[in-house]
Amino acid sequence: MQGTLIGGLIVGILFGFLLQRTRMCFNSAFRDLRYFKDNWLWKQGLMAIAVETIGFQAMAAMGVIKLHPSAFIPAAQIVGGFAFGMGMVLAGGCASGVTYRIGEGNVTAIIAATFYAISAAAARAGKLKGLTGLFGKPITVTMTNPGVYAAQDGKVAPTVANLFGLNPWVVSIVFAAIILAYLFFTKTSQRKAPMHWAIAGVLVGLVGMLAYWSQQTYSLGITGGWINLFTATMTEAPYNWIGMEVFGIIIGSFISAAIFKEFKIRFPKDPKSYVFAVIGGLLMGWGAGVAGGCNIGHFLSGIPHLAISSILASIFFILGNWFMYWLVYGRN
Amino acid sequence: MAEVKPNYTLDMRGEVCPVPDVETRRKLKTMKTGEVLEVLIDYPLSKERIPANAPKEGGEVLSIEETGPSEWRIIIRKQ
Repeated sequence: MQGTLIGGLIVGILFGFLLQRTRMCFNSAFRDLRYFKDNWLWKQGLMAIAVETIGFQAMAAMGVIKLHPSAFIPAAQIVGGFAFGMGMVLAGGCASGVTYRIGEGNVTAIIAATFYAISAAAARAGKLKGLTGLFGKPITVTMTNPGVYAAQDGKVAPTVANLFGLNPWVVSIVFAAIILAYLFFTKTSQRKAPMHWAIAGVLVGLVGMLAYWSQQTYSLGITGGWINLFTATMTEAPYNWIGMEVFGIIIGSFISAAIFKEFKIRFPKDPKSYVFAVIGGLLMGWGAGVAGGCNIGHFLSGIPHLAISSILASIFFILGNWFMYWLVYGRN
Repeated sequence: MAEVKPNYTLDMRGEVCPVPDVETRRKLKTMKTGEVLEVLIDYPLSKERIPANAPKEGGEVLSIEETGPSEWRIIIRKQ
């Protein structure tokens, strides 16, 4: 199932099922940390990142994959990241959140995802591509021996390891150890969730590894998948792995919601919620298109590479999220 | 359990987080001790989050009742 449509679909179904079961919403994870003093979902996400940090490195060392850190364009990751972070508050979920909530029957999620796909496609390959280009060209590191990294003409996107000439294994182990120390030696909020955060995190991390093996060029992502689903449906372009992965997420989430009796067509009563979904979807899509990834591509899949681009984008996802939450909900 | 008559109702059906949590906490903040709030939700995560967060505004969750397919009614008393 390497690189095939069916591979993408199977990985997507597994991921969608897990997202629904584990309530894996990064919009909530970022917000809860600051405004609700609740670190349950945050720890769940970091657990997945710790598993993937070691997992990706081990897979690359065994020659199963090559590491593909995301392109580093500082202005794009700062501006796009902040826009994405603001958008997810209005849209009522991050890129993966709105995708899996479609499978739960959420009408505002369908609206947000549609506008997300449109503006992401416009920023990456459509009418807003010129604007995206203004953020600059990728900054790369030239490596004589790329080793575990996939290089183009000896050039690799910067990571903590290759930027400072460190052994990627050492960096990965130190980083994972810091995360694990934080996870298990700090207080965790209590919650009656269907699955413990540590177990959920490990399972998401394993699906991330399976995704990397299956797609080969990267682990899990959302933005590229939505762009592909729309362009392949409306033009002659073919469907690809990541388009099928996003489609699979919706199916997997629906299966989980149906089994556990959580599926329902849900309409908010407040008209404002629909307006927020449109604006939030547009902001998120544009931001992810510019930044080169969303909370999955950059945060969940990118941080385990210790890619500078993903670390910078993630910081601005979180700052944008906190800023918009404060603006909309936090001031009184 | 004897039915508690709510003083206020928040119909949060169709909304996803953080709206149900935020509105519940906002309402609790304005309520007087002993008053009862009824929150209607249909978003599974809110069923886990509201009981976890209500005590921070002095809310005591009296009951969580399933009122339909993926629909719940949470009764909270201000302490």
